Amino acid sequence: MSRKTTGAPAPSNDPVVAKAVDLYKTYGDTDSQVTALNHVSVDFRRGELTAIMGPSGSGKSTLMHCMAGLDVPTSGKVFVEDLEVSSMNQKQLTQLRRKEIGFIFQSFNLVPTLTAEENILLPLQIAHRPIDRDWFRKVVGVVGLENRLDHRPSQLSGGQQQRVACARAMMERPSVIFADEPTGNLDSRSSREVLGFLRQCVQEYGQSIVMVTHDPRAASFADRVLVLSDGSITQDMDHPTYDDILAVFAEHDDPDNGPVEVEPTAGKEA
Amino acid sequence: MFRIGLRDTKAHFRRFVMSIIAIALGVAFVVGSFCFREMLNDQVAQMMGSNSDADVYVRGATEQKEDGEGGVNSHTYNEISTDVIPDIEKVDGVASADATHQLGNAVLLDRNGDAMTTVGAPTLVIGFDEHDPWRSTHFVSGGYPRTDDAVALLEDTADKAGLRTGDTAKIVIDGEVHEMTVSGVFTSPSTQLGAILILARPSFVEHQLQEEGEDTSSVQYIGVYGDKTTPLDEAAQQQLADRINEMLPKSADAHAVTGASVRDESTKSIQDQLGFIQPLILIFAAIALFVGAFIIANTFTMIVRESMRGYALLRSVGASPLQVFASVLIQAVILGLVGSGIGVLLGWGLLEAIAKGMTSGGMPLSGSPAPSATDVIIGVIVGVVVTIIGATLPAKTAATAPPIQAMNETVNPEKPVKARGWLGIAMVVIGAAFWVLCYLDAAKTVDWQWLNDLGSGWTLGLGAGFVVIGAIVCAPAFVAPAAKVLGWVPSKMFPVTGKLATRNIGRAKRRTANTAAALFIGVAIVSCLGVVATSMKTSVSNLVDNNVNADYVAMTASMSQPISTKAVDAIEDTDGVGASSPIYMLPTVKVANATEDIMPNTGNIDLFTKIAPIAQQDGDAAKAVEDGEAAVGRTIADDEHWKIGDVIDLESENTSVDEEATKQASEAYQKQVEQQATALQQEAQQLAASGDVSGAQAKAKEAEDVVKQAQDVDPKQFVKMKTETKKEQVRIGAIIDDSLYADGVMISLPTAEKLTSKDMMMVTQMYVQAEPGADVEHLGKDLKETVKPFYTVSVLTRDEFKSSMSSMINSMLAIIYALLALSIIIAIFGIVNTLALNVSERTKEIGLLRAIGTSNGQVRGMLAIEAVILSVFGTIVGIVVGVAAGVVIRAAYESQGMTTLTIPWDQLVLFLVVAVLVGLVASISPARRALKQPVLDAVASE
Repeated sequence: MSRKTTGAPAPSNDPVVAKAVDLYKTYGDTDSQVTALNHVSVDFRRGELTAIMGPSGSGKSTLMHCMAGLDVPTSGKVFVEDLEVSSMNQKQLTQLRRKEIGFIFQSFNLVPTLTAEENILLPLQIAHRPIDRDWFRKVVGVVGLENRLDHRPSQLSGGQQQRVACARAMMERPSVIFADEPTGNLDSRSSREVLGFLRQCVQEYGQSIVMVTHDPRAASFADRVLVLSDGSITQDMDHPTYDDILAVFAEHDDPDNGPVEVEPTAGKEA
Repeated sequence: MFRIGLRDTKAHFRRFVMSIIAIALGVAFVVGSFCFREMLNDQVAQMMGSNSDADVYVRGATEQKEDGEGGVNSHTYNEISTDVIPDIEKVDGVASADATHQLGNAVLLDRNGDAMTTVGAPTLVIGFDEHDPWRSTHFVSGGYPRTDDAVALLEDTADKAGLRTGDTAKIVIDGEVHEMTVSGVFTSPSTQLGAILILARPSFVEHQLQEEGEDTSSVQYIGVYGDKTTPLDEAAQQQLADRINEMLPKSADAHAVTGASVRDESTKSIQDQLGFIQPLILIFAAIALFVGAFIIANTFTMIVRESMRGYALLRSVGASPLQVFASVLIQAVILGLVGSGIGVLLGWGLLEAIAKGMTSGGMPLSGSPAPSATDVIIGVIVGVVVTIIGATLPAKTAATAPPIQAMNETVNPEKPVKARGWLGIAMVVIGAAFWVLCYLDAAKTVDWQWLNDLGSGWTLGLGAGFVVIGAIVCAPAFVAPAAKVLGWVPSKMFPVTGKLATRNIGRAKRRTANTAAALFIGVAIVSCLGVVATSMKTSVSNLVDNNVNADYVAMTASMSQPISTKAVDAIEDTDGVGASSPIYMLPTVKVANATEDIMPNTGNIDLFTKIAPIAQQDGDAAKAVEDGEAAVGRTIADDEHWKIGDVIDLESENTSVDEEATKQASEAYQKQVEQQATALQQEAQQLAASGDVSGAQAKAKEAEDVVKQAQDVDPKQFVKMKTETKKEQVRIGAIIDDSLYADGVMISLPTAEKLTSKDMMMVTQMYVQAEPGADVEHLGKDLKETVKPFYTVSVLTRDEFKSSMSSMINSMLAIIYALLALSIIIAIFGIVNTLALNVSERTKEIGLLRAIGTSNGQVRGMLAIEAVILSVFGTIVGIVVGVAAGVVIRAAYESQGMTTLTIPWDQLVLFLVVAVLVGLVASISPARRALKQPVLDAVASE
């Protein structure tokens, strides 16, 4: 097993960290087939925060799951750092998750029996990799959890939990972090903190992040916003403003999305 | 709702497999225990039917008070004289009447001259011949013995001994070898459970009994056949009994009853004696059912958790809580029925296997162990009730959870376990206090009257009850600390998975504790028995090592076959024998002024001085016995409150042949015959005088016949017995502390001989010491040569002697391991199930772990460590409680020979190793289930 050296993300000249080539994904049997991804091809650039947006059922989550090796496309290929994810077996996938990929989920990001610190260090320990204490302190400092390290997840607020999850994803310095609705369960203040942290990771440490969200405000933190509709990419915006994004959705006039001003379901935090 | 329940059952069937197995096992034990009892009862009833097959029994009319010993249900009556037999035979409808005698102390030698042994079944020589036949038998070859040196053998016996009709069989009776011709081989309707049955002429059997001092003229029962080939029905039996009763004189103090009633009575009394086996099996049935109920509760918790949305939907469209409750409970009922059905079959199969095993082990059984309708019904009811109990709580959760909460998947935090912990600890403390009391009482540290009155049985039992239940109650409170301690090693070996597993263990404390409880109870029972058995073993061997200086021990094959006086003499006369002493038991002698039955022993003075010298005593036992005084063991002296100088009254009831009466009876018979002959001759003369020549000749012939018949008559039948009681008063000269003597009363040989004859003393052991300077090994060879002609006597070296004494303990240990295996199997189910529930609850968490790079091996490892911690936790608590119980039991029975405490460390370590393996095995299937779940399903946020 070739271990990745610790330090900054693997130096690579390739500006593309991950890409989808002609991805096609259907669910269900022939009678009631649903096409989630309709021949999507896209490159994710290194050192960028890419947001994937779209209404429910647009295929944005499926795209990310296929990219992250959590789901297998019906046809087409997925590459992360030039490794073909779509043809990997379980063992290779495990190695991929240990070295190249970090995850932040909408909820249930942390192991409830472990403290914040243990959760942050968990991926490294699982992979039997040495712990870079300086990097740890830096990451913890950025997410502002210095005083919460020996707390269990149940003793942390939703925003704090999500920040721990971010720190954990950053700790292993993967090639790319996939974030699935990372602010979906948070109130606006916590959302801003988390998004700010992700932004900082990209800007200061050159981390590549792919984030799925249907919150235009969250997407406005991104370097690039992809909009999916019915399994196809309909928009590819570079550094859009909040208003740009709103405009796109107003155009679409998708009733599913509802009034854009409304924040998603309020989090637990007061 | 019923249809929903039915459909859900189908959908969850795979889930239910484990619950079904658990219920099936529990029900199998319940049904098996009932079947087993019935099978034994059948065997007993069958044996009674074929062995006590008379149509009418004549027995004593006055019921005797029994001294609380033996079966509760056995009635004994006064003995009746065999004198009434001729009168009974004259009663209309009586084909034969006979008092059957049997010898229980014979040993049959097989073809090769080796003594035949049985698995617990007796060897019996029974007096039957053509005149007094045994109706139930059927001869496959030959017939009844016609002479005193012939015997007939049961087919099973003949086959095992390799003997056939016409062969010569060697039978050792009271140390004497009899060479007898096999006159025939017979079968009986019952298999006789492997007993060795030998038929000999009644006169031979009676003679042997008389030699041994048994009074054959008075018996418990006289068997009457109404027909020599076919049994009478009950009404005919009753009529015959009534006719006999009319005839019986009041002075005979006898009463005739039907054969059926006697058979019922004795069948019942034997069955009661065998009754203890069932509760033993039922304990394990209870463990299995406890685990079963628990597994079902777990399984339903899982199912309900997964179906919560469905129930919420049902509720939101208007289903009442009761309807939801019913839909869950219906599944439980179906489950219970299926499990019980399988359990009934399993129990039946188990019994068939046991029956087969016993048959091949030399204890053939007849009849089928098939469960009766009642067994099946009991089994099914138990199974269904247990299932419903297990499912009730989850069903209630399903029914009462508010629809909104049900929609959100949240694991409710556990209720705190602190209160339970304290309650449990309090119970354990109370239990331990009882044990300490028991221990102190046994060690005589305290002497409180009420404690003595309570007895060690109560303190032991109450203590065990409190400790076991208390341990189960408080266990959840100790799960987390225990996990920390037990998880230390795996956490060092596997830093991540070990840590995760250790913390996971503490999450569902009650569930963890309950799972461990199944293992805990089994291991506690087994390690307690283990400590007791090993202590017994070392006590015996220490006793021999420290207290017995004999080089060789001569022993008999069985208690009923003592070493004969001739053998004792032969051993004493062997070259190179120095000090030696037989241990004489005096079965006819009683201590009349003791509260309990005490049978004194006697031996040579060498016993006290050379062979088993006494280390601690008050007075001087050797001198006391030499002076004709008694030496009493400390235990007995304490129990009876005897001191040195007290006097014990010894009484012996001796039965012997009354020469005088025998002679008189014989002469009386002669006289009677003479008179009869004279009378007939006179008649013949009268007839001759009256000219009837042929009539006269016939009469003369008759007279001749009478005389001839009288000559043929066996003189043994006139033997009369007499009983006389001899009394001696003996002063207690010494009290011995040594455990070898602690529960005995030793008197001197001359005193014993004053009380009873040497023939009446039984020698079961004889200790031999080599002469100073003699070659010990050579002596061993000589001794073995010496005892060869006595067949049943064997000479053992010290080591052989020790192992012979612990062989019984070894077979007890074998049973212990079988029980352990059983509780392990049940415990594995519990652990597998608990892990499966844990995995189902942690689907998301395991998905998360895998998403961030946990390999399949690491997930397996984590669950394996959890399972191992769980099983080791249960095992350690079990070992601690079991060993503590063993220590107390050992102390309580110290005075009965368990002098040394030995804890079988190797066994305990083995238990722990097994516990680790159990955990590893149990984690396989839940881990597979955890890994089957796609990572995406687990982490995708819906």
